[in-house]
Amino acid sequence: MTTLSVRTRYAALIAVAASIYCASPAIADDAPSNSLRAGLYAVFYHSKADDLSGPYVPPGVNIDAKDVGTLYLAYVRRLSAHFDVELAVGYPPLTKTVGRGPATLGSVPYDGQVISTARWIAPTLLLEYVFLGENSKLRPYIGVGVNYTTFYDRDSTAQGNAASGGPTKLSLTSSVGPAATAGLAYHVANNWHLYASYSASQVKTNLVADTAGVIRTTRISFGPQALVLSVGYSF
Amino acid sequence: MFKLLTPVSAALGAALLCACGSSSPTSMVATSTTHGTLTENPPFRIASLDAATFKTELAGTSSGALLLQITGSPSCGVDFYYVKFWTVGGAGEATESSGALMVPTGAAPACSGPRPIVLYAHGTNIDKALNIADVTNATNTEGVLIAAMFAAQGYIVVAPNYAGYDISTLGYHPYLNAEQQSGEMIDILTAARAALPKTLSAATSDSGKLFVTGYSQGGYVALATQRALQAAGATVTGVAGMSGPYALEAFGDAILFGNVNLGSTVFTPLLSTSYQKAYGNIYSTPSDLYSATYVSGIETLLPSDTPLATIFATGLLPETALFDSSTPTVTVPGNAVLSAELTALLLVPGSPGYPLPPTPQTPLFAAGFGSPYLLNNSYRVAYVLDAAGDPDGATPPGVAGVPLAAKAPVQPLRLAFYKNDLRNGAWAPTSPTLLCGGDADPTVFFPVNTGVMAAFWSPLVQAGLITVLDVNGTPAGSFATLQTGFQQSQAAQLAFYESAAGGGLSPAAAQQLIVEGYHTSVAPFCSAAARAFFGQL
Repeated sequence: MTTLSVRTRYAALIAVAASIYCASPAIADDAPSNSLRAGLYAVFYHSKADDLSGPYVPPGVNIDAKDVGTLYLAYVRRLSAHFDVELAVGYPPLTKTVGRGPATLGSVPYDGQVISTARWIAPTLLLEYVFLGENSKLRPYIGVGVNYTTFYDRDSTAQGNAASGGPTKLSLTSSVGPAATAGLAYHVANNWHLYASYSASQVKTNLVADTAGVIRTTRISFGPQALVLSVGYSF
Repeated sequence: MFKLLTPVSAALGAALLCACGSSSPTSMVATSTTHGTLTENPPFRIASLDAATFKTELAGTSSGALLLQITGSPSCGVDFYYVKFWTVGGAGEATESSGALMVPTGAAPACSGPRPIVLYAHGTNIDKALNIADVTNATNTEGVLIAAMFAAQGYIVVAPNYAGYDISTLGYHPYLNAEQQSGEMIDILTAARAALPKTLSAATSDSGKLFVTGYSQGGYVALATQRALQAAGATVTGVAGMSGPYALEAFGDAILFGNVNLGSTVFTPLLSTSYQKAYGNIYSTPSDLYSATYVSGIETLLPSDTPLATIFATGLLPETALFDSSTPTVTVPGNAVLSAELTALLLVPGSPGYPLPPTPQTPLFAAGFGSPYLLNNSYRVAYVLDAAGDPDGATPPGVAGVPLAAKAPVQPLRLAFYKNDLRNGAWAPTSPTLLCGGDADPTVFFPVNTGVMAAFWSPLVQAGLITVLDVNGTPAGSFATLQTGFQQSQAAQLAFYESAAGGGLSPAAAQQLIVEGYHTSVAPFCSAAARAFFGQL
């Protein structure tokens, strides 16, 4: 994906968010229109990659991503009694990629080694339907939306460099994919709520590793599922 | 409330910036194309094998197991680096070339710290994709040989693939062009020395000792490199020329007179194109040299992506018929006797009227004649007339000191041989030099190359500086074990071919296979001799 198309997709996302925000009808009741939520994300990547292809790669060389936990932040805009729109972001976690496949490449340990790290930002925009009345103590909700994921701080570790054959530059294309969530809101008191939710999204990225001009590639599909526990304040 | 969008936008903006950021660095890429420049530093490591793994991999194939018997078990691990560097082609063209840097690794004292360098030149190879650094490629037998023989025993090995191969876009290979090939050897040495401290194996460093060696074509390149390094005032600790065509003029004369070597139909296109590119006068058009049957595409035929067997099978080259079996009549104006002598000498060896007595190699020479054939009689006659009028000192009856022709030849191919003959250049080795080969070599004749160089240098160097080893000779001296080993392996191979497991061939057919494999069979034994020779220096 080119930088231009990344920008284009960002612009589209922002436009969607803005249009929902701006298109929302005037709030007639007294319920607060905005809330901020913070909590913890437990991310289970469920990654699945094609075997690496390129020069000097034996068959069956693959990678996997280690699950992480991170900070969850979200802004939620109340659209109506039953509809919210949520923009969720997580503090970019340091995700570790581990080698999968042969125990060694030549004599270099591979399987299970942390070969690279990357941080990613994955804002997710969700339109949510909230069940039951606004005075209910417990309100389940479901949502669908779109996830945008981009990677940065991509580093090949010393083990990764040894397995790749030298200092390695990694690039990962950004991804736009569907996202869905299901959760439960618990009204604690006044403007405070507790939330528990389970979200899933689809992230696809092309990994390109450049080691002294030797290019290896793979396509990675993540089906990240996130368990979120958070607290929210409405205003 | 609108202002709440601001931090979100800022976060997205930050993310966008992050997406444009760069990741961890890879190698530095040189912008210079000056010869000797390393393109990527650190270079790419194709493979890293510890000593035990290397031994296991060698032992896993029959050829590897045989090689282990000669090399001994690896003492060191080996890291195989793929080095890209800039050099110049046969006509001075800048071209990127590639090769190997093999670095010994491991805890043993002989495997890290300051270690000697073996600068190695490979033998003739028609595979355009040849990458001697790629130990993962099963066809890279020469790369495995030098890794097991030298790198796994504590020598840093530096070996070019040669311009015209692998990534080089030169379009031809400057085959047996002494200036280009020695220059490329020095260029990869410069590049490898720049790379070594930056590699993943930087615990191993250059001790300053430099050994130069190579096999076949590479034997020639090794001595040409020795000459160039000496001329540049560089330190050369020791040299081993192995089965090389050093005395190109004498060797060329022998072949054009009808002593056709095994492989000549492959070597000739490589040679003619190399010298045509360098000197521009080998022919006006390839059809001056090549028969109509084979002339089409001959200048770009080799090296090739097509296997040699396919090249033969599809009629792009004859397997052995270098010359027309209908031999020419030579006319030397005003000299009927010489005309008759030369005409007879150009007959098929062993045929009626051929003036020389038969030798064990006569059938080999005779196989160099046929129809269709590769080279035109007219070109052969022009060459032979030049040789007859301005004979090489090694041409029977040889003259003392086996000098080059008294004056520069006129016939362009012979002149190219003269220029590139290693007797040229007013030099002799100043460092200990081993010349190793097998005296029955049907591909690169031992007497006219190794024998001639040793005789030529003998009066020019101090006693003992040059060591000549014929692995096929009567076992004696410090290399007796290797001589015995070579001869036993030849006998064992012959017996195998005659056994049921080896195909139950007749003695003659089995011997034919031995002859065909002879040149290759000598390589590991001479390499072992080279290692032993270097180990004393």
